[in-house]
Amino acid sequence: MNPAIIHRPSILAIEDDPVLGAFVHDSLGRCGFHVTWCQNGAEGLERAQREPFDVILMDILLPGMNGLDILSRLRRRHTMPIILMSALGAEADRITGFRNGADDYLPKPFSVDELRVRIEAILRRVELERRFHTPVAAAAAPRPDELRFDEGLCDVSFGRKAAQLTPSEYRLLETLWRNPEDVLSKPFLYQHVLQRGYAQHDRSLDMHISQIRRKLKAIGYEAHQVRTVWGKGYVLTEAEPDA
Amino acid sequence: MREQRSRLPGRHSLFWKLAFLLVGFCLLMIGLSWYWGRYVETQNAYLTADARQVLNGYAAEAEQAWRAGGQRGVDRWLQEIRLQEQGWVGVIGHDLQSLSSVPLDDSQMQRLTFMRGVDWPMSRRQKTMPWLKIPFPDLPSAGSLVIELPERFKPGRYALVWQMLTSVVIPALFTLLLCVGLYRLLIRPLNQLREQANAWRADRLSNRLSAQMTSRQDELGELNRAFDHMASRLQSTVQIQQQLLRDLSHELRTPLSRLRVACDSEQSLPELRERLSREVEGMRRLVDDTLHLAWLDAEREKLPDEDIEVLALWDMLVDNACFESCWPSRQLVCDLDSQCWVRGHLNTLAQALENILRNAIRHSPPEGIVRLGGRRDGDDWLLWLEDQGGGVDDSDLERIFAPFIRLDGARPGDGGFGLGLSIARNSLRLQGGDLWAENTAHGLRMIMRLPAREVEAVV
Repeated sequence: MNPAIIHRPSILAIEDDPVLGAFVHDSLGRCGFHVTWCQNGAEGLERAQREPFDVILMDILLPGMNGLDILSRLRRRHTMPIILMSALGAEADRITGFRNGADDYLPKPFSVDELRVRIEAILRRVELERRFHTPVAAAAAPRPDELRFDEGLCDVSFGRKAAQLTPSEYRLLETLWRNPEDVLSKPFLYQHVLQRGYAQHDRSLDMHISQIRRKLKAIGYEAHQVRTVWGKGYVLTEAEPDA
Repeated sequence: MREQRSRLPGRHSLFWKLAFLLVGFCLLMIGLSWYWGRYVETQNAYLTADARQVLNGYAAEAEQAWRAGGQRGVDRWLQEIRLQEQGWVGVIGHDLQSLSSVPLDDSQMQRLTFMRGVDWPMSRRQKTMPWLKIPFPDLPSAGSLVIELPERFKPGRYALVWQMLTSVVIPALFTLLLCVGLYRLLIRPLNQLREQANAWRADRLSNRLSAQMTSRQDELGELNRAFDHMASRLQSTVQIQQQLLRDLSHELRTPLSRLRVACDSEQSLPELRERLSREVEGMRRLVDDTLHLAWLDAEREKLPDEDIEVLALWDMLVDNACFESCWPSRQLVCDLDSQCWVRGHLNTLAQALENILRNAIRHSPPEGIVRLGGRRDGDDWLLWLEDQGGGVDDSDLERIFAPFIRLDGARPGDGGFGLGLSIARNSLRLQGGDLWAENTAHGLRMIMRLPAREVEAVV
C-alpha cells in the first residue's frame, strides 16, 4: 500500500504463549512482514537492543521480565515504535503502558486484521514524520470556491467565514485533505493526529469528526465531506450530488 | 463527606465537651483543695477542749492561791505546778508585774508582749512554744496566769494526715471518677465499633450500627457514620460481585452450549468458522461489558471531565446508530440547540448515551421516532430520550437498571445481555450525574442529569 513499506518491515514479537505467538508469526509473515519471535522477556530485550526493528510487538505478562519493565528499559535509549498486547483490558494497564512510552495498546483477543491495521498505522506515521513536510497544495493558489488553510491560525475558512476549528480538528482535517478519496484508518488517525494509540471505547476522534462536519456545514462548505467508512475509518470525498 | 473542614471545631464537636469537662474539673479540684486545706489548717491550730479545761483549771487554782495566800500562796502554788509542767509558769497582775516573789527578768518581759489567748489559733510555724495568758476566771482584773503551752497540748498533731487526705486521696478519687466518665464517653463507642468489625470478620456483613450511635452529632458520630457507610458499601460490593459472577457464568453457558452443539453437528468448515467467530465475538463483548461494569462499580474516583457539546455528541451517535440499525436519521430527532454544553468524561458519556439510544431504537417500532430533549435545571442539564416502544410496567422502572435483567418482552440473543442500562447509569453517576426512567404516553423516557459547563462562554 505504501511505497516505503516495500522493503519488508521487520517486527520483533515478544509473546510467551506458543499458540498465539506462532499465529502472530505466521499470519504477519503472510502479510509481508519479517517477524522475529522471542518467547522470553529478557531475551527479547537483548535482541531489541542489538538489532534495529521497525516495530516491537510485546505481551505484558512475560516470563523472565515484565513487558512494562522492558518498555521502560528500551525507552531510555530507543525510539522504535512499541505495541503492547495484553489480556488485561483494564483502563489502568493501558494508561501505565502509554505513560511508559508505548505507541499503542492492543487488548486480547484481537484479529489479525486489527493487528495489521495498527502496525501499518504506526509504520505510516513514522514514514510521514521522516518525510519532508509539504505545505497543503491548495494553499498555494486559493480558489474562491475552495477551503483556505491557515497554518498559523490553525483554522480553515470558506468565503469570508472562518470555521473556528480547534488545533486537533485542524490537524485532522488537514490530514484528510492531504489524502483525498483515501480511507484513513482510525488507528492511523489516532497515531498521526492525536498521537496516541486507538482504543475501542475512545470516542475523541469521532467527536472531532462530528465537530468538523458541523463547523464546515456552518460556514456553508459542501464541496467535500467527511464520510464514515464502517469498520475502517474516515475518508474525505467529493460530495455526492444527491446528498 | 464534608469537603472543606473549618478550622474551628463545630458546635457539636467533642472538643467542647472535653474542654468544659476538663476545665471545670480542674477549677473544682483547685477550689476544693484550697478551701479544705485552709479549713483543716485553721481547725488544727486551736487547742482541744481538754487542754483548755486543764489550763483554765490552772488559772482557777492560781486565783485561789492568790486570794488565799497572796504572794506567798502564789509562790507555793507555783512550786507545786512546776513539778507537773516543764515549761515556764508565772502569775502576773493587771500591771504585768509578777504576783510571786520572783520578779520577771528582761527576756520574760519581752515574751509577755507576745502572748495569745487560750481560744486563739496556735501557729505551727512558730518554733518555740507559745506563752498563754489566762485571766483569773472570777476576777479577771486581779491578775492572770501565764504559762508556756505544754508540749502535750500542742495542736496539729494529725495535720499531715489531714493534709494527705485533702491534697492527695480526695483529688485522686475525683480524678478516678473523671477517668471513668471519659472512658464511658470515648472508649465505649470505640468498643462497639470493634464489635462491629469482629462481626464482619465472621462474615456477618449485614450487621449495622445502632441508630443511636450513628445519630450522634460529634466526631464519634461522624466516625460511626463513615463506618456504617463503609459497611454498606462493602456489603453491596460483595453482593454485586457475587451476583455478577453468577450471572456471567450463566450467560457464558449459552454460547458455550451453542458451540458444543456446533462441534457435534455435521456443518461444513466455512459455516463452522463463521459460527465460531460470531460466538467468540459475542463472548468477548459479554466479558468486556462485564469487566467494564465491574470497573465502573469499583472506580470511586471521579473521571477527568471536559466540556462536551451535546449536539456534536448526538450527531456522532446518530451516525453510528443509523448504520447499526438501518434507521434513517430523520427518525432520530434532537430538540436541543448548540447552547447545550455539559461537563463529563467523553468516552463514558458517549457509551452511556449510546446504550440508551440503542435500547430506545431496539424497543421502538420500525417507523417510530426517538427524540432527545432537555432543559437547564440550575447548575445541571436534564436531558431526556423518549422512545415509542410502549414503556415498561411501573414496577420495572427501577429494575431495568440492574445488570443482566432482560424484561420478558425482550428477545433473547438479539445482542443485548442486559448490561447496557447498568453501564449507562453507573457511568453517569461516576461523572456526577444520574439516570432514571419514567413512562410517557407512547413509551419510555430516560432522563439524564448532567452537570452543565461551568462558564457559559460564547461559542
